[in-house]
Amino acid sequence: MNRTLDKKLQPELLLRVFGVAFFAYLFFGFMLVPCLNTLTSIFNAKNPDGTSAGPFAVIEFFLAGTMGRFVWNSLKLALCLVVTVNVVGTSLVLLTEYFDIKGARILRMGYMTTMIYSGVALVTGYMFLYAGDGVVTTALKNAFPGFNKDWFSGFNAVLFTMTFACTSNHMLFLRNAIRNIDYNTVEAARNMGASPFKVLWKVVLPTLLPTLFSLTVMTFITGLCAMSAPTVIGYDSINPEIVRLAGSTPADESFPQARAALLSILLAMFTIVLLTILSAYERRGHYLSVSKTKAKLQKQKINNPVWNVVAHIYAYVLFIIYMTPVVMIILFSFQNYTAIKRKQLDFGAWTFINFYGKQDYTYQKGSGVTVTMENSITGVFSNDKTLGGIKLSFLMSAIAAALACVIVVVACNYIFKKKKSKLSGIILEYALLFPWLLPTILICYSYRIFFNNNVWYVGGQNLAYKENVRLLIIMAYTVTKLPFSLRMIKASFYAIDDELQDAARNLGSSGLRTFLKVKLPIILPSVLAVFALNFNALFTEYDMSATFHSSNATTYAMVIQGMLADATRGANMNALGRQCASTVFIMIVSGIVLYLVYGVGSRDLGERLEIRKKRRERWAKLTGRARKASAEKEGL
Amino acid sequence: MIELKNIVVKFGDFTALHDINVEVKEGEFFTFLGPSGCGKTTTLRTITGFIEPVEGTVMVNDQDITHVPIEKRNIGIVFQSYALFPTMTVYDNIAFGLKVKKMRKPEIDRKVKEIAKKVDLSDEQLQKAVSQLSGGQQQRVAIARALVTGPAIICMDEPLSNLDAKLRVQLRNELKKMQKEFGITTIYVTHDQEEALTLSDRIAVFNKGYIEQIGTPNEVYNFSKTEFVCNFIGDINRLSDEVVSSVKAAGGEVDPGKHNYVRLERLHVNVEPEPGQVALPGRVTMREYYGLYIKYYIDLGSQTLKVIEKNDGVRIYEEGQQVQVILDPRDIMAYEPGEEIEVGQ
Repeated sequence: MNRTLDKKLQPELLLRVFGVAFFAYLFFGFMLVPCLNTLTSIFNAKNPDGTSAGPFAVIEFFLAGTMGRFVWNSLKLALCLVVTVNVVGTSLVLLTEYFDIKGARILRMGYMTTMIYSGVALVTGYMFLYAGDGVVTTALKNAFPGFNKDWFSGFNAVLFTMTFACTSNHMLFLRNAIRNIDYNTVEAARNMGASPFKVLWKVVLPTLLPTLFSLTVMTFITGLCAMSAPTVIGYDSINPEIVRLAGSTPADESFPQARAALLSILLAMFTIVLLTILSAYERRGHYLSVSKTKAKLQKQKINNPVWNVVAHIYAYVLFIIYMTPVVMIILFSFQNYTAIKRKQLDFGAWTFINFYGKQDYTYQKGSGVTVTMENSITGVFSNDKTLGGIKLSFLMSAIAAALACVIVVVACNYIFKKKKSKLSGIILEYALLFPWLLPTILICYSYRIFFNNNVWYVGGQNLAYKENVRLLIIMAYTVTKLPFSLRMIKASFYAIDDELQDAARNLGSSGLRTFLKVKLPIILPSVLAVFALNFNALFTEYDMSATFHSSNATTYAMVIQGMLADATRGANMNALGRQCASTVFIMIVSGIVLYLVYGVGSRDLGERLEIRKKRRERWAKLTGRARKASAEKEGL
Repeated sequence: MIELKNIVVKFGDFTALHDINVEVKEGEFFTFLGPSGCGKTTTLRTITGFIEPVEGTVMVNDQDITHVPIEKRNIGIVFQSYALFPTMTVYDNIAFGLKVKKMRKPEIDRKVKEIAKKVDLSDEQLQKAVSQLSGGQQQRVAIARALVTGPAIICMDEPLSNLDAKLRVQLRNELKKMQKEFGITTIYVTHDQEEALTLSDRIAVFNKGYIEQIGTPNEVYNFSKTEFVCNFIGDINRLSDEVVSSVKAAGGEVDPGKHNYVRLERLHVNVEPEPGQVALPGRVTMREYYGLYIKYYIDLGSQTLKVIEKNDGVRIYEEGQQVQVILDPRDIMAYEPGEEIEVGQ
């Protein structure tokens, strides 16, 4: 009896030991130890000659020098973003969901473009339009010669770009919250004599406050940790400074590594405080509708004609701001080199060269000599560097997205197991949520510094060296995506009714079979959705790419940034055209991913069978018609 | 067939089942009835193997199965939520247990179609997703899935509770018919007394982890052993001391020291009292019209009695009308005060 029991226990025990070892390795090796190393490095600053500068040298330097400027700039950006993003984001939602604005569907589509067009692609796109030689600035300059061509620079440009880039969360979460409002409460307020604006102020907005608070905290953190916009546009905030310092040496300036560490720890402290506030607020609970028969929100007509016109104008101005970069970039991606260089649409200059193919570039020198540069105009899919970036990002993103999903699914399967210690489940969950507390830059910086040595627990390898850095990027991608994946996949595990597992067990199914045949198919749509969203976010990810940037790891985001730099320098003939085409390519990829996630992925088996049935019927009808036609033909 | 001997189940410090003893005969429709948290589902889960008792034994056909794994007990279960696998078709749901047993495909196909026919599921329905079926059809799939592997016993945990009232009544009848057809020993859990009374051969009434009474529906309803059972099954009047005194004064045999109860349908309004019956004067304060019958609330001064009268369309009393309530003292069920606490220990 005991022997049989031992035999049964052995594989399970081995699996458990392996699981504990794996998660401990992941947590200590790739989360805690590198970050602790960063923390201790603050107190271990070195002089250029290698001697210790004293434990508080960096802190003294911080207090005495100009480092505080970066912190202040980041805080200023975060604070301003909270105001602008909330104002714009809330008005987008109210204009499309609450007020009766003509053309709301089209407006919504325009406002949601940031979901397929974001990050470095968006920033470079804005630069393409609004920089000194940008399309819009050039047009404005031509129309108004006195117009300041450098209006789009520094803080204002970063704030403008990020305001319109960061409203996606409002369009997702605030929209959901407003749709969940019970219309009967609005009707009750109206019935008691409240005006539409009073209803908005006193009934609707208070119920949105919890969501708005969460969005405010998230926006603040986004502003604080901003990377692509400040780097590309040029603004001295914390993240770009950390990346710059990480690449510097004590010979260039005073203890750059320790300064970078201090900045990243400061950022982490801000993040932890904000997330603590957020979670304390969330614990207080949200307003729950007590209605048993919730009525769908009806759009409110703005009765005052003046306000109605103002609201319409405001809605369409926002629409133009959102749509202009998208439309312009799509149009210019099909324009030839000359039109892009002139920043003027030429309706006779359509081409696919920015996407595919190679062309020679011919020009005449001042001396009258004609020079031909062979194959110097190349499309996204014909340019080795761009294609290399796409391939590398594709592979690394896919691997990391899949790894994060697998790790989280295994962890969730354990967390939701009935017969286990509750504490071990909690520890595992918190370990996986740990990276959420840390800004991405801290993790990446820590990796870059800590693994730039031969570390024993990664086989004595230097992971920052040469092509090893790709492995490091994959690990960073994976670790940073764990908290999001856990939150999403854990939610899907809640959907598994305990009785399903009991039923499977009762029918004789083993634990593994129950997982593979019953639980996995239920959570699979969510897992695939998380995979797709992770992949989408990582494919054009900029912050980590910039931190790990080297000739061995030039990701797609860095290639896109490089195109902008090339164009600014005047090198690489159709860099801007390729940049536009790249953005279009990213929009297509993101669009497909979102369609697969929210369109196809959200269908249950019944809906899928229904669609399949309809498709079969249509096909049978079609082939039946064809058969009938051919029979008639033969008959004739 | 099934025998629970001195079963004790504990969750931490909390004792969910206290010394449960039940014997279920072969082919019997046996119901565990009781309010929420009384231990009926825990008892069912002890039989099916999801819960292991800290004391006592579970016997099936004289074999101790207390420590036998769930999958080896040969007990089918129909869950409250039906627990149909949402990502599988109806066919795959029913075939699941057979596939686990590694049966050959043609045999699986034959068995699935056979059971589907028995529970009235068409071939077309077999190819549908479970979400495409109605509540009643889903229940049939759950029953088919539980029966297809040929279990000796089938356990049902409140399988009708998710359905609307009309469908519940309809499926209740179908369930009984199916059970008779299959002749399978059935253990049924419910908190609905009407369901228990109409379906069961015998009922065990649970309260706070104890069994208060085991008996046929008639025994449980008309001869409730404890005050709890008497109160829990059906609507009832507890007679006030004043009414008891009046009954006693009129020569009725009643013990004023006990808690005295009388069922609503045992009382009558304005009929000629027979010898031994007592007439209590009162006034109709409220009338509830149910169609088949009418429920009157009659104020006797010291208390309001509820009375049910068959609706004959003629003798209908108005609110405010003075009437006489006729009570037969032999219909009184009397219990020692606090009896419900002591019972079962």
